[in-house]
Amino acid sequence: MKIVVTVKLVPDPNADKRIDDGTKRLVRTGAETVLNPYDEYALEAALQIKEKVGGDTTVTVFSMAPESLKETLRKALAMGADDAVLLSDAGLEGSDVWASAYAISHALKKVGFDLLIVGGLSDDGSTGATPGALAEYLQAPLVTNARKAEVVDGKLKIERETDTGYQDVTAPLPCVMTTALTFGEPRYASLKGIMGAKKKTIALLTVAELGLSEKVGQAGSKTQLLAFAPPPARGKGQVIEAADAVAGAQAIFAFLKERKLV
Amino acid sequence: MKNVLVYVQHKNGVTPKVTFEMATQARKLADQLGGKAHALVVGAGSTRLADALKGYPLDAIHVNDDNDVDTYLLDPVVDYLEAAAKAVGPALILVANTLTGKDVAGRLVGRLHAGVCADATDFKLEGGKIVAVMPKFGGAAVTNCELLAADYGIVTVRPNAFAAQAGGAGATVQAIDKPSGKSYGVLVEKDIEEGSGELALEEAPVVVAGGRGLGGPEPFDTLLKPLAHALGGAVGASRAAADAGWVPYSLQIGQTGKTVSPNLYIAVGISGAIQHKVGMRSSGTIVAINKDGQSPIAEFSDLMVVGDAFAIVPELTKLVQAAKS
Repeated sequence: MKIVVTVKLVPDPNADKRIDDGTKRLVRTGAETVLNPYDEYALEAALQIKEKVGGDTTVTVFSMAPESLKETLRKALAMGADDAVLLSDAGLEGSDVWASAYAISHALKKVGFDLLIVGGLSDDGSTGATPGALAEYLQAPLVTNARKAEVVDGKLKIERETDTGYQDVTAPLPCVMTTALTFGEPRYASLKGIMGAKKKTIALLTVAELGLSEKVGQAGSKTQLLAFAPPPARGKGQVIEAADAVAGAQAIFAFLKERKLV
Repeated sequence: MKNVLVYVQHKNGVTPKVTFEMATQARKLADQLGGKAHALVVGAGSTRLADALKGYPLDAIHVNDDNDVDTYLLDPVVDYLEAAAKAVGPALILVANTLTGKDVAGRLVGRLHAGVCADATDFKLEGGKIVAVMPKFGGAAVTNCELLAADYGIVTVRPNAFAAQAGGAGATVQAIDKPSGKSYGVLVEKDIEEGSGELALEEAPVVVAGGRGLGGPEPFDTLLKPLAHALGGAVGASRAAADAGWVPYSLQIGQTGKTVSPNLYIAVGISGAIQHKVGMRSSGTIVAINKDGQSPIAEFSDLMVVGDAFAIVPELTKLVQAAKS
């Protein structure tokens, strides 16, 4: 069984985020680039499934990013992925959800998979629409927000979170799945993993190899970011030390009354 | 893009409030674009729900009570939406920014080769093109996203961001044919409801949320629930409380949980880490109760009361209940 996990390379989530005035894109310089933390949950799910299914099951990590960020993928290899593929091309810059999904899906068709696992969120401008768009172009079923998954008789049994609770579903393979954070904390790379990762392959793909019939990058995108502004500031309000419970409750009640909230 | 098509997410005819918010917004946008406002309601209970939707200013409601929509995950809905979009013609498609809505929007991006703007809190029309206004990067910026294609565009709409207003001349309800020649792969074996009770967290006008400071699961029931009920709201939680297993993840507010913007947000024993802040910073009024006056939540609360939440909350609940009766 071949499992592919897509990972996004994002600026360190703990660093300040800034959008460039001219390009209207997220400034990626300055902050260290890391694996999107939510995608580590997708990789954890892939590694767990590989361990359970066994045999000749492999986990390939896939990313779309500038070639200069290639080495960031070593972390995924150190965690236990077998190899990596990086789609890297200047022509992809400025791609929106549609253009990214279109290009990535063609690359994934080349890579091939039985199970594609995508992180549920990205830390840098998530729309949540990418997994669906990928599944559509790959003509594969989509099961999102999985918190448990196992392969039974060649099918995928998944417990997934919904807007109002949870569901058990059965999906045929090949399939696209996204993970909820409840799937389980990502593992740490072991020292052996880190050493082994140095010898693993990171293959490069370019747009020319994909045989696309539509334009991608900013020129092919179907949306455009026009402007950005910081959100309305929310200043510090009053801070009251409550002498006792009644005084504290009365202070809040009076405040709510003044704002016509009770 | 001339027309507007609203996807109505529901379960057995029960729909979140955001449906009515989108129906109201669809009318405004359709008028600006010189087109019609449509809605699609499919699955068990649709005919009943369409009846309720008639009270909102739509032109046409496309209905099918097809059970396949509930039996199979996602794909039947997308097929119906594709059929409705093709029947309606060039259209802006509005989908709620919920877990289900994001999946629907994503598949439509591929199906209709369309652009998507996510989590819109406002709309503008610029040079005949639709521009969605949306908070981005966890609320660190507000961006304007323009839909460039002339045929179809998709916007996911944040619950609670728009007003719902009944009215209009009454929409025509018409049957939409089941798309033919389709087979579906993902079977829903079991569908379980859980969570905070009567009100969906994202749509509650008041949210009373608890964090690590509550120390365990019981205070969510004994302390927060009575206050939430008295205020007509719902109970939420921080990631720390969900990670500790005190509440289901469906109650978690924050970057990795739900985004809420109620009129009133009361944070009890929540420190206000950035992870939590981005899920609730757009609330109307924020009140914090915390024993530590130095916790980060003080920086973005309208009122912070430093004291013992276990004593203050029951007193506050009494005051609210007394005011109501």
